[in-house]
Amino acid sequence: MATKPTNATAEPLPAYQSAEKIYPREMKGRYASLSKLATITLLGLFYVVPWLMWDGRQAFLFDLPARKFYLLGLTLWPQDFPFLALLLIIAAISLFFFTALLGRVWCGFACPQTVWTEAFIWIEQWTEGTRSQRMKLDKAPMSWNKFRRKFSKQFLWITFSLWTGYTFVGYFTPIREFGVELVSLQVGGWALFWTLFYGFATYGNAGYMREQVCKYMCPYARFQSAMFDHDTLIISYDVARGEKRGGRKRGIDYKAEGLGDCIDCTLCVQVCPTGIDIRDGLQYECIACGACVDACNSIMDKMDYPRGLVRYTTERALEGKPTRVMRPRTIVYATLLTVIIAGLVTSVFMRTPVILDVIRDRNALYRELSSDLIENSYTVKLINQTNRPREFVLVAEGLPGLTLDGVPDTILVEGGDVKSLPIRARVPRGEIRGSREIAFTATPTDNPDERRVSESRFVGPLN
Amino acid sequence: MISEEYRGAKQWSRNRQAIAIVIWISFLTAAVGTMLFFAVFDPVDLTGMFDPDLDVSRDAGYAAGFFFFWILSAVSAGVTAWLVRTAPKRDAKHR
Repeated sequence: MATKPTNATAEPLPAYQSAEKIYPREMKGRYASLSKLATITLLGLFYVVPWLMWDGRQAFLFDLPARKFYLLGLTLWPQDFPFLALLLIIAAISLFFFTALLGRVWCGFACPQTVWTEAFIWIEQWTEGTRSQRMKLDKAPMSWNKFRRKFSKQFLWITFSLWTGYTFVGYFTPIREFGVELVSLQVGGWALFWTLFYGFATYGNAGYMREQVCKYMCPYARFQSAMFDHDTLIISYDVARGEKRGGRKRGIDYKAEGLGDCIDCTLCVQVCPTGIDIRDGLQYECIACGACVDACNSIMDKMDYPRGLVRYTTERALEGKPTRVMRPRTIVYATLLTVIIAGLVTSVFMRTPVILDVIRDRNALYRELSSDLIENSYTVKLINQTNRPREFVLVAEGLPGLTLDGVPDTILVEGGDVKSLPIRARVPRGEIRGSREIAFTATPTDNPDERRVSESRFVGPLN
Repeated sequence: MISEEYRGAKQWSRNRQAIAIVIWISFLTAAVGTMLFFAVFDPVDLTGMFDPDLDVSRDAGYAAGFFFFWILSAVSAGVTAWLVRTAPKRDAKHR
């Protein structure tokens, strides 16, 4: 929504009479467009992704009830947990890397708090109008018009929140089936609970808490400055150029009167979603959304001054020196990121479809059977990491006359299942003395190339 | 001057801020804790350990685990915040 920038005197500024409510003014410009693009892309992804299909099932499903994660063609089981840990480490280092480079772009454009707040503000503007209309509406006594506007806002907010909760749960339980269950009122209690929980959190955070989450509750807002240096991009007011600020008549030689480029229109304050004055310098409340940059540029254009009195720049650039992108901090983060991402990709691709684990029972060294045989006991664990049931043939080698007891001809393991088998290996008495190495091999009947070997020991009498 | 109008802006009280931070940070901690814990342990196996007749679904197990972690970390964070604040308050003027 376009708003004509107005002079400060034309409109009183009660914007921050309490911490309860900030009425951010809507603003057009480069950063507003960027933020709109980011919001639409990210929310679009969030709402669309659970509906994507892959091979007849949901493409992205973190199926907690079944303890399986589906990511496109990949299925992850609980034993693949290290991948998840690596993914979290990658996310953390990426955050450090981009913060060092670009400042708080995460806060301004990608944080769910910002993105959903943006969407909620759109609804608010659509139902209640512009900033001044909203402030007037809030002060006005209840009327049919006020009720109608407030009601539509609440109705849209709540519907949107519930849909958000439904989508969120749809990442953890098949979304189509869940939708059918919801419509037919046969939904499980916990799925419903989490839908309402997430929906309510969205409603409260994006509708009411908004910037207060960033200012008072967010841990990242507190420690992000530790990742800043003189080469980090931040939103800055060019003090040297702007001061001394003040109103002036159009066309006069303001520089002769000792004035800077800032006309003190306070538009940068009015558009700020966290209600700060960027001209006081970088503050931890600043989420780097760029609204004040857009606001100031629109005024600079009107005044025929060059743009960029408030701009996205680095401290070094403000001092007139070149900004360094390559610096120890960014190089270390980038190297770490590359190494860990490469490691993750390699390990995902080298993931074996079969895992064989043989554990020797420690209770007894060996048993002597009357039929002149020496027996050892093992527990064989066979994990099928594919989605389909597979049959395996298990054999053991390494000693002459070695036989297995308790092993069926083929072992059936369901997709994603772990099969534990207690088995006994036997060797004729004369063939074993002391401890020897033996090897177990599990061969899938449908693809012998994927066989796995696991080594263990066979213990016999010492003489 | 605009900044003077803004200086009077009402901030959250210390208590309110502390409560909000405790709830939110313990929520995040609980989310991570739940993820790590249930990546290793299956809630169905766990309930079987206590009482084989106990029939608890995985959903309920995850939820119980999450709230357990949330309450636990909220208690820890809350008590910490409370104890740390028993130090004499310094007046802003004397700083």
